[in-house]
Amino acid sequence: MAQKSTRRPLPGRQPLSREFIAHHQRVRIIHGLALEVSEKGYRAVTIADIVKRAGIARNTFYENFSSKEDCFRAAQQYAMSSALEQVVANAGEIDDWPRRVEAGLSAFLAYVAREPALSRTCMVEALAAGPESVRYYEESLQAFVSLFKLGRDVSPYGEALPETLEEALIGGVFWILYQRLWLKEPDLIEELLPELVEFTLAPYLGPEAARKFTGRKADSPE
Amino acid sequence: MNPSVESPEYPPELARLPPGRHGLPREFVSRNQRERLIAGLAEAVAENGYAGTTIAHITRHAAVSRRTFYEHFSSKDECFVAAYDSVMTELNRRVGEAFEQEEEWSSGVRAGLATMLQFLTDEPHLARLSMVEALVAGPVVIERYDAAIQSLVPYFEAGREGRSDEVLAGLSPTTEEALVGGIVSLISRRIFADRTAELQSLLPDLVEFALTPYLGSAEAAKIARS
Repeated sequence: MAQKSTRRPLPGRQPLSREFIAHHQRVRIIHGLALEVSEKGYRAVTIADIVKRAGIARNTFYENFSSKEDCFRAAQQYAMSSALEQVVANAGEIDDWPRRVEAGLSAFLAYVAREPALSRTCMVEALAAGPESVRYYEESLQAFVSLFKLGRDVSPYGEALPETLEEALIGGVFWILYQRLWLKEPDLIEELLPELVEFTLAPYLGPEAARKFTGRKADSPE
Repeated sequence: MNPSVESPEYPPELARLPPGRHGLPREFVSRNQRERLIAGLAEAVAENGYAGTTIAHITRHAAVSRRTFYEHFSSKDECFVAAYDSVMTELNRRVGEAFEQEEEWSSGVRAGLATMLQFLTDEPHLARLSMVEALVAGPVVIERYDAAIQSLVPYFEAGREGRSDEVLAGLSPTTEEALVGGIVSLISRRIFADRTAELQSLLPDLVEFALTPYLGSAEAAKIARS
């Protein structure tokens, strides 16, 4: 789970700084919310549920968040920024576009597989949590839009591609992931990588080149 | 909205029954009330969002008593599920008919998508209810929402028929699911942003997106833009 506590070096004297503890507690609450929301849906979850799930005092919740909405937004920001951080770390330096897409999606799938509750919460429940959450969600998607859009530079179809292509591709990829999360099959998520890469590359490079790139074995025709 | 004025959105068969003794069979009255409640919920949800909608809102729009509401539904959630199901049944029927009427698969896809966009544009309240508010309404509805979207998969799968081995090799098992997910996300994001009026302009893009894996970019674009 979330061991992202090393953002700043810990001060020498105390093994666990106050900051570390505070961060740890915040992330615990966020995970509590994600688990509850992914089981009951955003609307049905109460602060009492979250407190119980996270095993913390009610006061501690209110020291960190002003409301359920506030906590949800924090969960969203936490998940999206962690996922995107890993996408950038894995793919940001790669110049070759197909490899860059593959590396980016691979990091993203790994994150979703590791954090199924948090991912489901962000991918589906964002709509339930109000317009601000939706706006944040839409902004996060832009990172993928930009990554995919680079494909237009290397595509023989270039400018002829429909304007909404990237949006549709991301919608497709997210839908597949969401289905797997819904079916509670997070273990199978990383196996989807070749298919999803191929699905994304095909409109830009053509289906043959896309399949050659992923090396996916075709299903035997009936 | 003034509840005493007959709302123009009601189709004639949902017109309020005349007051007093009308001598209509009990079953007819009851069915009519149920449909009015469903239509009332759609209006109330369009006005207040699912979370903000109360049973009082629904009964006011439907012009029936609270007691009548509880004769048909035990809760707002139950009424929403009924409304969702009736919208999806109607949408599926229309899409299916449009698809079946075409001989060519690619024309069927185009006709089905056009019908879907037309329905959602003509019925912005129902569009919002089925594509946006459904996600707010909790796990029971989300399950139905998923099933409704997945039920579109076979229309696209039919495109595999008669293709060369080479084309089939390029279609991964999740192709259709991904196509459906992409199409629905384009539609629902516009509805969410209150840009339902723009939906019909999406048709060429959606057709091209849907046909490309089967026909290739050039052919798909040609059909989409024709």
